[in-house]
Amino acid sequence: MGKITKGWMIGFLAFILILTGCSSDAGSEEGGDSSNEGSGDTVTLQVGSWRTEDTAKYEKLFEAFNEKHPDIKLEFKPSKNTEYNTILNTELKSGEGPDILQLRPYAAGAELADAGYLEPIDDLNGLDTFPESSLMAAQGSDGTQYGVPLNMSTTQMFYNKKIFDELGLEEPQTYEEFIEINETLKKEGYTPLAMGTKEGWLMSLMHGIVGPSQYGANEFVEKIENGETNFVSDEFKASIEAMDELKAYFPDNYEGLGMEDIRTLFFTEKAAMFPLGSWEIEVLKEMNPDLQLDFFMMPSADGKEPTITTWVDGSYAINANSEHKEEAKKFLEWMTTEEFGQMFTEEFSMVSAVPGVQSDNQLVSDLAKAAEQNSTPYLILVHFAKGNPSTKATLETELQGMYLGEQTTEGVAEAVQKSAESYYEPFQK
Amino acid sequence: MNTAESQVKAVNKPAAKTKTKRKWKRWAIHLFPIPALAIYGLFIVYPILAAFTYSLFDWDGLVRGAFIGLENFQALFSLEPYKELFWNAFQHNIVYFTGQLIAQNGLAFILAFIIYKKIKGAEFFKIAFFMPRLLSIIVVGFLWKLILNPNFGALNVILGKFGLESLQKAWLGDPDTALTAIILVNSWFGLGFAVLIFLAGMQSIPHELIEAATLDGAKGWKMMSKIIIPLMMPAITIITVLTFIQSFEAFELVYAMQGSQGEPYHSTDTLAIYFYRLAFGGSSGGGSSAIGLGSALAVVLFLFISVFTAILLYFMRKKEVEM
Repeated sequence: MGKITKGWMIGFLAFILILTGCSSDAGSEEGGDSSNEGSGDTVTLQVGSWRTEDTAKYEKLFEAFNEKHPDIKLEFKPSKNTEYNTILNTELKSGEGPDILQLRPYAAGAELADAGYLEPIDDLNGLDTFPESSLMAAQGSDGTQYGVPLNMSTTQMFYNKKIFDELGLEEPQTYEEFIEINETLKKEGYTPLAMGTKEGWLMSLMHGIVGPSQYGANEFVEKIENGETNFVSDEFKASIEAMDELKAYFPDNYEGLGMEDIRTLFFTEKAAMFPLGSWEIEVLKEMNPDLQLDFFMMPSADGKEPTITTWVDGSYAINANSEHKEEAKKFLEWMTTEEFGQMFTEEFSMVSAVPGVQSDNQLVSDLAKAAEQNSTPYLILVHFAKGNPSTKATLETELQGMYLGEQTTEGVAEAVQKSAESYYEPFQK
Repeated sequence: MNTAESQVKAVNKPAAKTKTKRKWKRWAIHLFPIPALAIYGLFIVYPILAAFTYSLFDWDGLVRGAFIGLENFQALFSLEPYKELFWNAFQHNIVYFTGQLIAQNGLAFILAFIIYKKIKGAEFFKIAFFMPRLLSIIVVGFLWKLILNPNFGALNVILGKFGLESLQKAWLGDPDTALTAIILVNSWFGLGFAVLIFLAGMQSIPHELIEAATLDGAKGWKMMSKIIIPLMMPAITIITVLTFIQSFEAFELVYAMQGSQGEPYHSTDTLAIYFYRLAFGGSSGGGSSAIGLGSALAVVLFLFISVFTAILLYFMRKKEVEM
């Protein structure tokens, strides 16, 4: 009995080894075939994305493209937002994946590009439509272009117009006025700022809005890029201190509130201001169609221009392993046109990355205009979403610690600087 | 098996033909586990071996670099901030295990004993305790997140109704209470299963033994410590080992309730959550993947759990008595 089992065990192990050895090759062949179906010369391209909720909207865009190029069909294959990165990475690693894929902006996208999974598109027609600041969202770390920017996200202070009118408040022109508004609202029994510190990303997002008003917006960003200043400078520390002071205007129990909670506070009109991103417009309107939603740019603390914080939220790139790169390029070229930008803005109510596109949604149109004139980059995402833990995650955790009284404002700045020093070249001079 | 075979031999006086047939049958039997073993190999053995090799290489994002031996392991235990984060998470795992041991298994033992004593409605309680187990753990997480919500969650509302406003808290947002809250939720989830195992253990004790002990004058604590607990050791072993493994792999509930950062301020971070962050770079806003470090952590976790489980089993088996 013992001998027999031993013999078989060895047999099984050998079998398993053979099996595992074959597995990855078998996988890659399968992936290639799937897009080859369809009748005659029609090519079907698969499009990967993390926006499962946008399927119907994308189908409309794809139909419009199909009318121009009857031989190219596009199929939208989204996966869940929080799992998209993992699924995509695994697919790309085994040589599979969609032909066209939505690329996370900045460092996360660069990681895929540097691994050689994406097709370079430096010579794509129409790329010059975009400003360099948008293009850099979809580049490898050597500056090669891999993606066409889709949409701009903006963060700003939303406010409830009804509450402001009721209390006779105006959009603030200076930072002092902003603080006064907070005081008035608090006295009148409203929660001034719908904000919670349970989820880290809310804090880096709010710092992205409030921070530039303190550190001097683009001037400071430029200095950071040149290595002339850093995160332990007085300017940056001032931005952390401002974050700390604003907690006086947060809702009760803010340390236990997450995204859903603060959104609810705002659309139920218990809170008057909501420091969040452009993607919330649709959701807020759906939750409370009567909400009188408007936004203001963050006024500067030292007399500079007010700012709205922008970045490219997503791009589309081509899988280096796709069998239909030429067809995929045609789609990406279309993405650079004003026609596409217009359609996108209308369908999605988001700010298109194509400059100069107008929207019939007044709020989106205003945001787009502000973004073109007064934009400042979402610094911590654009340059510092790197490292593990990333500098962005470090800022989030440390700010959380600060709100819990376990970290000082100085300590936050030092931790952020330390994290960035490990990889950010301008700091290593 | 041996006796069975010899019996077959005795009944079936073998002609040469049937002998080869039987021999073939004996071999063929071993073919049946192949599908199961193949799946096991592909999805369990292979990933473990892969993680082990990954941990020995330098990784630049998703690209595998040079072979660096044990450097990833060294970094995990000696470099900032990896070192702090590891020990921080490790401590939480230990708290998680002890917490579960007391809140889940201790309570389950008492409840099982009450049911064993045949109170009215024992069947009902058995089912009631087991109910949470039927929910997906993600659902459990979201359910309790609502209950524990500081401003409109049921717990704080109830506290308010009883005039206990001073006890109201942001349960999941306060580093002092967040981990405890999660452990209690997990215990709520796992209670029914532990009750069932304990109850089965108690019910398998022969009545004669209890009667004999009673006649000999054992009762109360003596009965419990000298008769019931020693005879239940197999059940206790199983539950303790399972709780240990589950506590050190704690991920889903923490992720559902506190996100991938073990919020707030890493106060609910566990090794599995930390592994997820290392290997997949956190959920929001990218961050680089540190696959080498992540794999190293996975290997450490795997070794720790297997070695400690073996030790636990060895010592607990010693305490088991033959019936």
